[in-house]
Amino acid sequence: MKSFTKLVAASVVAAVTAGAAAAESIYVPNLSYRTGPFAATGIPLMNGQRDYIAMLNARDGGIGGIEIEYDECETGYSTEKGVECYEKTKGTAVVTQPWSTGITLQVLPQTNVDQIPILAPGYGFSPMSNGETFQWAFNPPASYWDAASMILQYIADGDMSNLAGKKIAHLHLDHPYGKEPIPLFEAMAEEHGFEFLPIPVGLSEMQNQSAQWLQIRRERPDNVIMWGWGAMNAGALTEAVKTRYPMDQFIGVWWSGHDGDLVALGDDAKGYKSISWSAPAPDAPVMAAIQEQVIDAGKSDVGADELGWVFYQRGILISAMLAEGIRKAQVIHGEGDIDAVQLRDGLASLDFTQERIDEMGLTGMIAPFSTSCTDHTGHSGGWMLEWDGSQFVKASDLLQADRDAIEPLEATAAAAYAEANAPWPMNDGC
Amino acid sequence: MLYKIAGQFKTTYRADQALYPIREDAWLLGVILVLAWIVFPLTASEFAFQTLLIPVLIYSLAALGLNILTGYAGQLSLGTGAFMGVGAYACYKMVTIFPEMNLIAALLLSGVFSAMVGVVFGLPSLRIKGFYLAIATLAAQFFLIWLFEKWAWLYNYNASGAIQVPNIDLFGVAAAGPLASSVTQYYVILAMVTVITMVVINITRGNQGRIWKATRDMDIAAELIGINLMRSKLMAFAVSSYIVGVAGAMFVFLWRGAAEPNLFDIELSFRVLFIAIIGGLGSILGNYLGAILIVALPVVLNIVPEWLGLDIKSATLEHLNIMIVGTLIVGFLILEPHGLAQLWRLAREKLILWPFPHEGRQ
Repeated sequence: MKSFTKLVAASVVAAVTAGAAAAESIYVPNLSYRTGPFAATGIPLMNGQRDYIAMLNARDGGIGGIEIEYDECETGYSTEKGVECYEKTKGTAVVTQPWSTGITLQVLPQTNVDQIPILAPGYGFSPMSNGETFQWAFNPPASYWDAASMILQYIADGDMSNLAGKKIAHLHLDHPYGKEPIPLFEAMAEEHGFEFLPIPVGLSEMQNQSAQWLQIRRERPDNVIMWGWGAMNAGALTEAVKTRYPMDQFIGVWWSGHDGDLVALGDDAKGYKSISWSAPAPDAPVMAAIQEQVIDAGKSDVGADELGWVFYQRGILISAMLAEGIRKAQVIHGEGDIDAVQLRDGLASLDFTQERIDEMGLTGMIAPFSTSCTDHTGHSGGWMLEWDGSQFVKASDLLQADRDAIEPLEATAAAAYAEANAPWPMNDGC
Repeated sequence: MLYKIAGQFKTTYRADQALYPIREDAWLLGVILVLAWIVFPLTASEFAFQTLLIPVLIYSLAALGLNILTGYAGQLSLGTGAFMGVGAYACYKMVTIFPEMNLIAALLLSGVFSAMVGVVFGLPSLRIKGFYLAIATLAAQFFLIWLFEKWAWLYNYNASGAIQVPNIDLFGVAAAGPLASSVTQYYVILAMVTVITMVVINITRGNQGRIWKATRDMDIAAELIGINLMRSKLMAFAVSSYIVGVAGAMFVFLWRGAAEPNLFDIELSFRVLFIAIIGGLGSILGNYLGAILIVALPVVLNIVPEWLGLDIKSATLEHLNIMIVGTLIVGFLILEPHGLAQLWRLAREKLILWPFPHEGRQ
């Protein structure tokens, strides 16, 4: 009898704790880097991500009534620390936000085993778009190959045959990230008859690119496209100003359009462009909500002049995509406290229609897109942003990537990845 | 205190020259081996395997390799990271060209490649010493990283320029790649590290070890007593690079799972060098102590506030961590310039002499 009472007592305790656990929050860690060589670009992004979640918690009490527990694990952009953070958080987290191509590479095969989605908005492998192969990885709303294609179209003014005979240099970080668009550029160069000139910048030469710019001066390319990050962006822009390379022929990817890098150059960098799937919209309703709920409440680290920065607002959009994924997952599964596997279904059914974008207060910040089981990117397209001497402004209408040209390349690359990592589980349910 | 040497008589020369002449030392080693082989793998979480146990073992092995060169043979090297890279890339090429190859054999063979590269870059050591040699090995560091980036054959023309470890079975169990469990990987690493450590202990206590020490302490005197300096130095480079290469192959295959060229950058070389210096040059035990301090301590410091229920921002914590570890390194080096191994040696002697006072270093 005595043992029976004990058993009952034990089960009551267990039931109560389990009940308490169920009412807990959704844990959303972010592998941030506010320290180390890339901190300058990391901090505004992380601030945006954190502030959006804080705003949701303060205004709506989380998502679907469940509080979102946003937490940062500092990596300093080091792959080793990143894996440490992944191991530390994967037990309770619903998502991994690796924030570096190196960490993504390392975590990607693990997610199949651990069953946890990777959210890598606008970075990571371009072939991750192929949802049948990369069932756990999401890179909405546009991939690097999309970016490359959009830049080429902008240079060609919409008609790719204009590219024939041109010489286009690709100044890139000599790192998986910088090499990512090369296969697409090479394929395009062959198809449209322009000369493609890759110019790598080693990690140790980021701040001193005199050799690379000497080469650019000698080769006189019609355009320079930049895939830079961290200190490399500022280094390249300074060199470009010094060598008087025409700024309006210099175009960066979205990670090379950081206000912080350009402020110091001011008017000298006028005309520099960066393709971007996000656009700064200081008047968007979401900004007012963040101002009211988070910044005025003293819960944010962001400086007053940084609110309009492209990177801060992009951070907001990244968290907005995650929040929308959580909301969708809650709708699909009919429960608030979703887990990692359920979140995958949410991320695979993101539907950013113009109405939904307006409803979320993101008007003008992002173009409509939607993901599916087979398409994990959505391909929203993007705008060409131009530095006007003090800030980035939209310099083009919405550009769209040439998906017909990219898709076969993505399929080949995804198949090659799956083959190299055999046995690789495919998602046949799509 | 804990050591009671009274009553431990040696009746043969063999017993007197034993690796562990004092019984307590042997027991201590036994306890450590039981912990490493049985207790840790049974109790460790995935997190502990991936961030504490496996990295400490791999870094210890790399430092052990460097210690042979720098600590025993006295040749300073700043190319450790690149030699680890040679091991890793060699292993990658072997398992992708011959998928049927046994993983252990691939790991052991990859050391041969780094040994060959090590000997080539060790040639300057015949003419130059000290800091000058360090600069020559620095050339190896930069050249090899450049090679890993530019020679696309090394990473099988992968578009991202990185190598990714495929799934490899070892005796029917997944041992490398995403499907492998941490316990399996830990046991493979532990077995390799244990065996290599035993071999190294024997080498350094034997003839070759004495030749190296003579070379280190005074090369002219060593030459006068008939030691072939060229052979001694190149042998040190070969053995050291072999171990470093095996450590590098395990680093990528049994732990990281993927690697890009800059992983093997100068920072890795410095990290391994710090482990060897703080642990103690010319000591085997020191490599393990150094690796625990440099690799495991920051990880533990990162989770302490969480245990205590303190709410510190992750970035602040990282800054605190750097400060604490930095202070500790400086502190240990002031306290004992010869490293943690010497600190342990002194503590042990104090314990043996206790309750009589120990007069400090000899």
